[in-house]
Amino acid sequence: MSLQKSLKSVSGEQDTTSICSSVTTQPDRHGFFGGAQYSPEPKRTVSPSTILKREQKWLRMLNNWEAFMSKNYKKVRERCRKGIPASVRPKAWLYLCGGQLLLEKHPNEYEELLQAPGDPKCMEDIRKDLHRQFPYHEMFIREEGHGQQELFSVLKAYSVLNPKVGYFQAQAPVAAFLLMHMPSVQAFWCLVSISDKYLSGYYNPGLEVLQRDGDILHALLRRTAPAVHRHLVKHRVEPVLYATEWFLCALTRTLPWDSLLRVWDCFLCEGVKVLFKASLVVLAGALGPAKVRKRANGLCETLEVLRHPPDSVLGEEYLMYHMQRLNLTEEDFEFEHQRQTARRRAMANRSGS
Amino acid sequence: MDYDYLIKLLCVGDSGVGKTSFLYKYTDGVFHTQFISTVGIDFREKTVIYQQNGRQHRIHLQLWDTAGQERFRSLTTAFYRDAMGFLLLFDLTNEASFLEVRNWIEQLKTHSLSDDPDIVLCGHKCDLQEKRLVNPNRAREFAKNYNLPYLETSAKTGQNIDRAIEILLDKVMFRMETSVEYAMLCATGRRRQSLQKLQAKQDRKFCSC
Repeated sequence: MSLQKSLKSVSGEQDTTSICSSVTTQPDRHGFFGGAQYSPEPKRTVSPSTILKREQKWLRMLNNWEAFMSKNYKKVRERCRKGIPASVRPKAWLYLCGGQLLLEKHPNEYEELLQAPGDPKCMEDIRKDLHRQFPYHEMFIREEGHGQQELFSVLKAYSVLNPKVGYFQAQAPVAAFLLMHMPSVQAFWCLVSISDKYLSGYYNPGLEVLQRDGDILHALLRRTAPAVHRHLVKHRVEPVLYATEWFLCALTRTLPWDSLLRVWDCFLCEGVKVLFKASLVVLAGALGPAKVRKRANGLCETLEVLRHPPDSVLGEEYLMYHMQRLNLTEEDFEFEHQRQTARRRAMANRSGS
Repeated sequence: MDYDYLIKLLCVGDSGVGKTSFLYKYTDGVFHTQFISTVGIDFREKTVIYQQNGRQHRIHLQLWDTAGQERFRSLTTAFYRDAMGFLLLFDLTNEASFLEVRNWIEQLKTHSLSDDPDIVLCGHKCDLQEKRLVNPNRAREFAKNYNLPYLETSAKTGQNIDRAIEILLDKVMFRMETSVEYAMLCATGRRRQSLQKLQAKQDRKFCSC
């Protein structure tokens, strides 16, 4: 369920105020003129001197990237968990996800891919979605503006590079999000890495990997928040109903901006399990209180709660703190992965025979 | 939960035909010019009063919104089974979306509970007259062949939005009237109890003959 969309639905009035209050003023510090992602108050959780120190550490690390990643990955991870300073974030993301390596290996490929005609059906699907990504962001607010053109290029290039996936609608918000941080050629190689490695299989026809991961999330929830798990089972709230957009769009449409940036700092360092952890924290935070579960005594009521988790649960400090306290090991993830894969295979065999 | 029936309707059609806008207009009365594409499944709700044979029913509508791109069908078709009726939309300014309607009907027939599901076909975005690519007669002819009600709708002007849902609701309610079993799927509270009694009475009748 998307927050951006549903916030508008609370009431028409609320929506207009959020737009009006921002249309006449400057965009917020992330470039939003309105909508659910608009966050006017400036963030001051880390002191300027700490930021300065972190920037220097990051610059040193980026200059010795290979060495750090191979010998001191834990250090990199720790620094990602603390949050990457905004000034180095774009470069850090490019290095973390391997986009930089891809770019060095194929320096001219992006331009070449753009020369190709592209599959007409893909091109049409992409065009239909260009004005439907972060419509309140300064880059994408203007129909056929610069941002939307770049978005087209990035998505087109990917569809030509990987015709098996072509274009999938969930890629558009991810690509748009990347474009807010870096030039299109870099955004493209990050998208390649995210689509093919981080979220490998998510965008393939059939969406089986997504459905399996939904089951894994559900199984992990049983360990981390058994009462919430029971509630979801009781009201038949399947993961596909609430987690599809969370996973497919890597939370870009789900979290408030500051939280999203922090989660992505970790996601690009540690991989897809970060999305699981964030989802588990949101689920437990939103449906944890017994009185909330009691009130949400049905499928739609529960989905409604998950559409609008309380701000406190989505806040960056709360989210990051509880993600690290989840008490899930690498082995737990691996175990559930094996189990759900086997289960799905058995199911497929049964229905096949 | 103060209503007699809970009815689930599902909105389908190609990507970008305006499903989300249609449902927003219906439930909130608002047309948003700025929108995000639907990824996965979403829903809207509205409670309406329905008159039938001089009786008033309070009906709670659950309107399920689905992503249009073909790749999502492996997720969305699972929900066709739970829906009582379907809004099938195409975009009057997009020929391809009209050509896909046939395909959508097949999908609905395959995956819904009934072989002959209740569907209302809507040619959407009819406010964009200068961009129209699907001739009204052609769409009407097509709908007639499939025995579907056809309406031209616009979320911008609101034209026929309520009407389309009303027609679909008529079809669903008619089906319920003719089948207690079917009605039981949607009835809640006291309405459910009275239907249960009715069903028990019918069963007894069958026993005696």
